[in-house]
Amino acid sequence: MSVLARSVGNAFRNKIRTAAVVAVLAVAIGLALSMLVANQAVGAKVQELNASVGTTLTVNPAGGQGFEGGGEPLTAAEAATAAAVPNITSVVGTKALRLRTETTTTDTADAAAGAAQPDAGGPGGQAASVTTSLTAAVDAGTLGNRNNTGSGTGTGTTNGTEPARTFTLPITATGTAAEVDSSGKALDITSGTGLGDYSAASTKALVGTTLAEKNNLKVGSTFTIAGKTYTVAGIFDAGTTFGNNAVYLTLAEAQALAETPGELSSMVVTVNSMENVDSTKTALQAALGASKADVTQGQRNLETAVSSLNSVKGISLVAYIAALATAGLIILLIMVMLVRERRREIGVLKAIGARNRTIGLQFVLEALVLVALGSVVGAAIASFASGGIASALVSSNSSTAAGATGQRGPGGGPGGPFGGATQLLTSVTASASPGVIAAGIAAVFAVAIIGALVPALLTARIRPIEVLRGE
Amino acid sequence: MIEVKDLVRQFKSGDRTIKPVNGVSFELGKGQLASIVGKSGSGKSTLLSLLGALDKPTSGDVVVDGVSLAGLPDGKLTEYRRRDIGFVFQQFNLIPNLSAVDNVMLPMEFADVRKSARAQRAKELLEQVQLDPEKHSRRTNRLSGGEQQRVAIARALANEPKLILADEPTGNLDEQTGEHIIELLSSLSRDHDTTILVVTHDRGLARKADRRFRLHQGQLNEDVTAGR
Repeated sequence: MSVLARSVGNAFRNKIRTAAVVAVLAVAIGLALSMLVANQAVGAKVQELNASVGTTLTVNPAGGQGFEGGGEPLTAAEAATAAAVPNITSVVGTKALRLRTETTTTDTADAAAGAAQPDAGGPGGQAASVTTSLTAAVDAGTLGNRNNTGSGTGTGTTNGTEPARTFTLPITATGTAAEVDSSGKALDITSGTGLGDYSAASTKALVGTTLAEKNNLKVGSTFTIAGKTYTVAGIFDAGTTFGNNAVYLTLAEAQALAETPGELSSMVVTVNSMENVDSTKTALQAALGASKADVTQGQRNLETAVSSLNSVKGISLVAYIAALATAGLIILLIMVMLVRERRREIGVLKAIGARNRTIGLQFVLEALVLVALGSVVGAAIASFASGGIASALVSSNSSTAAGATGQRGPGGGPGGPFGGATQLLTSVTASASPGVIAAGIAAVFAVAIIGALVPALLTARIRPIEVLRGE
Repeated sequence: MIEVKDLVRQFKSGDRTIKPVNGVSFELGKGQLASIVGKSGSGKSTLLSLLGALDKPTSGDVVVDGVSLAGLPDGKLTEYRRRDIGFVFQQFNLIPNLSAVDNVMLPMEFADVRKSARAQRAKELLEQVQLDPEKHSRRTNRLSGGEQQRVAIARALANEPKLILADEPTGNLDEQTGEHIIELLSSLSRDHDTTILVVTHDRGLARKADRRFRLHQGQLNEDVTAGR
């Protein structure tokens, strides 16, 4: 019989006690694994949020945003000023255009709005309106007609009292200096390639999936903007219907089309870390001047969300360590008890020639057998409980965070442009992946070995004569 | 084979100093069966512990086959117990949750004997001590006292020790079983050339010994009229 076999046998010497020990260990190990799973899930979410939009600032002309408002346009000089602000890692300028579908109608209202009108755009003339051979992929519907009365391309009649118009939505074309969208997020090109050199004028274009589908465009297809032919280099998926009804050009090309060289509609500024976003925003606003530019942190609520998630992450880490330590302590106490109970047996083993390390190893292996059983049950507990525990942690924390920061909307629901911190927090999904469970169990075994070593070392101090003297 | 030189073991008990072994000297040759008798508390078990390197003497020395135990480190003393000594205890001291065969295999496992050889030899030894083969695989806590003592003797023989130290081997057994054990020890010393030192109250066992010693107040005296 080997040491291992003897250890397994010893672990089951007293079945009722073994069952009780395994049950207690399973609870501690299950809790530790659940906390680890929650910690990993929250950590992954924090990483995801930070990696996506957490560290970007948007700069718009003072008094203007998108196709609304007024003020003076941004220029390359402001971009250079922004780039010089500490902690800013990149500045991407964009130029927005409204593309209107070419029409043959002679309707006077249409004629007024449908032709190329460089001055009919948004703030500072930044959103120049030019014609295109493309047809928008989104129908105007009630909202489009209501919001754009008198400013669209369309067909219909004017009876002098109530215009009956069918509005065709414009297509957004954005000139960009990098392969990112207007929020700074990398474009997801599903087929074809990017535009290559984004700083130079080019007749290549990226087209949204729905727009490409609507106009039967594939990579290599052509279309026109202001009578100039462009080739589809790639098709991207923005993830939204609105976002996919769009075209991306190089910045220089868009500026040329709008006949406003050097002008920018907005800038997307990336800060080197989440912690520096606030201070950098203040510094950037000061550098550009409040009368020249508006600096906004579009994902302001993300900071609250990430902060809350980090808090949950910290709590789960502490709970994980505490549960691990509890498991180690349980093992320590159980093994000390077993060593004391088997002093005579240890003395006999030594009397018949057992080495100290053999006896110590036997007790460590016995502890590991108990831990292995506890881990199996604990992993089962964790696989069922980790989701609930993570949700409980996150929801209790998110309600605190939302309450403290006043992020709720007027209807009592989550506020903010992205649904608020609460929504982001509750979107954390904790699932017990085999890798995390395996890592957790490895840590449990490491702690168990440490816990079992102390009593194992105690066995070395037992002198056979002392326990056999009772003879 | 074994030479004991002026062995002393003393303990402190409050202000008093007790010497259960006080200047004991003797020699035993190979294959001899010796007995030590004495009153309870006369130091018989203490002397046996010193000879088996379970305890260290206050002074004096034990020399086994020319090797002095005095000053040997713990690791070497463990090796000595593993290789040269077989213990038989009054309370048997078997591992209760292991079978008879597993108990006999233990000393061989500690001596790194191959597993297949261990099992084979354990069975042979249990047959030699006349344990019913049906009981070889039975847990020792389910065996009778006589059967447990047979297993304990088989375990003591596992590594073919030079010296078997038996402390009251028949003390917990009925008369008939005790006689079987006495016969067994006697035949072992005769047939296997094993030196056996038995501490006993049993006069029958003492009479079977080649040499008989009496321990009184820490002093050992040999009954020179003894003989098998």
